[in-house]
Amino acid sequence: MAKQTGAETIIALGVRVEGEFISSGDVVIEGEVTGTIQTSGDLRVGTDSKIRADVVAQNATVSGEIRGNIQVSGRLDLLESARMIGDVTANVLSVSPGAQVNGKITMDGRDVEVPEDQEADSE
Amino acid sequence: MYYYVYDEFIQDPKFERELSLVETRLTDLGISGKIARLALFRDAKTLIQDEIKKGAKTIVAVGNDLTLTKVIEAVADSGVAVAVIPIGSPNSNRMADILGVPAGVVACDVLSARIIEEIDAGDINGHRFLHSAIIEDAVAPMIVCNGNYKLMPTKRASIEIKNLTLPEPDVRAANPTDGRLEIVIRTQGRSWIGKKKVTVSVVPVELARITSPEIMKITIDGKSIEAREFKIRVIPNQLRVITGKGRKF
Repeated sequence: MAKQTGAETIIALGVRVEGEFISSGDVVIEGEVTGTIQTSGDLRVGTDSKIRADVVAQNATVSGEIRGNIQVSGRLDLLESARMIGDVTANVLSVSPGAQVNGKITMDGRDVEVPEDQEADSE
Repeated sequence: MYYYVYDEFIQDPKFERELSLVETRLTDLGISGKIARLALFRDAKTLIQDEIKKGAKTIVAVGNDLTLTKVIEAVADSGVAVAVIPIGSPNSNRMADILGVPAGVVACDVLSARIIEEIDAGDINGHRFLHSAIIEDAVAPMIVCNGNYKLMPTKRASIEIKNLTLPEPDVRAANPTDGRLEIVIRTQGRSWIGKKKVTVSVVPVELARITSPEIMKITIDGKSIEAREFKIRVIPNQLRVITGKGRKF
């Protein structure tokens, strides 16, 4: 039997979601989602989950597959089995060895600045 | 003014002594009132609604969860307070337990203290409920939640709609003051070693519609109805319920 996770919303394996999934609390997804996911809380995407949706969350931990753009205002953890096909926007990003990311990564909305002396060295 | 609704089963001689103690205690506390005794062909809803029209301010279910459900259905939007004096086995008095009302004569003191909580009611196809409703075996159901998204179990599933329930090992307690109902979907699969495995999904909603190509049976606080479509909604702060200090929400 599954144990309590403390999350407000749980989509377990064996349940498919279609449409605009909006939540104000923590969300755990182990099943399939098509459409959009939006939560002002934290999101955890389980190993067997398949998400075809744009995702917006406060913080997120991903072990499964996401096809779509993900926007996280806090920290995004892509664990070993994570497969990300889409653009990533996060303030803090952690990518474990083995995780796949195919898309543009933007952090904190700023361009990466190259230090001046490093530019001179390269010339 | 108190109006006591005695369920049919408590008229059994084995409850005679307990009932006598309850009546004496109510008189001592100065909260005795008119009594209605339910019977096979006496419609609880009509009896209670007539009494509300005559000025009853508190309707007390004397019996079990089913008695309380009958009272809740009848009270509807009237705004009168609802209370329970649990009689009988603890298994048939789960709601009283969550409301913090002890069984038997001690409940009279809870009633007298009049700690009133405003709590949500659930509504399924016009049937009000306090505790929960369950579809034991739904085939290919589709649940449209809050008008925004659909939930579709990929296997046979049981679907429970909770308003006021205690925590279970796999599901947290449902809070009847949060303005939402919890939809709990249990599907059965097998693990990689072939062992049966139940997965549990939990989704809070304000509105939902459950449909299925086959007729589904739903049990709402112990009462069953059948349909192909169930329209579900929460009615926030709809019920004024007398609770004990030991309430569990």
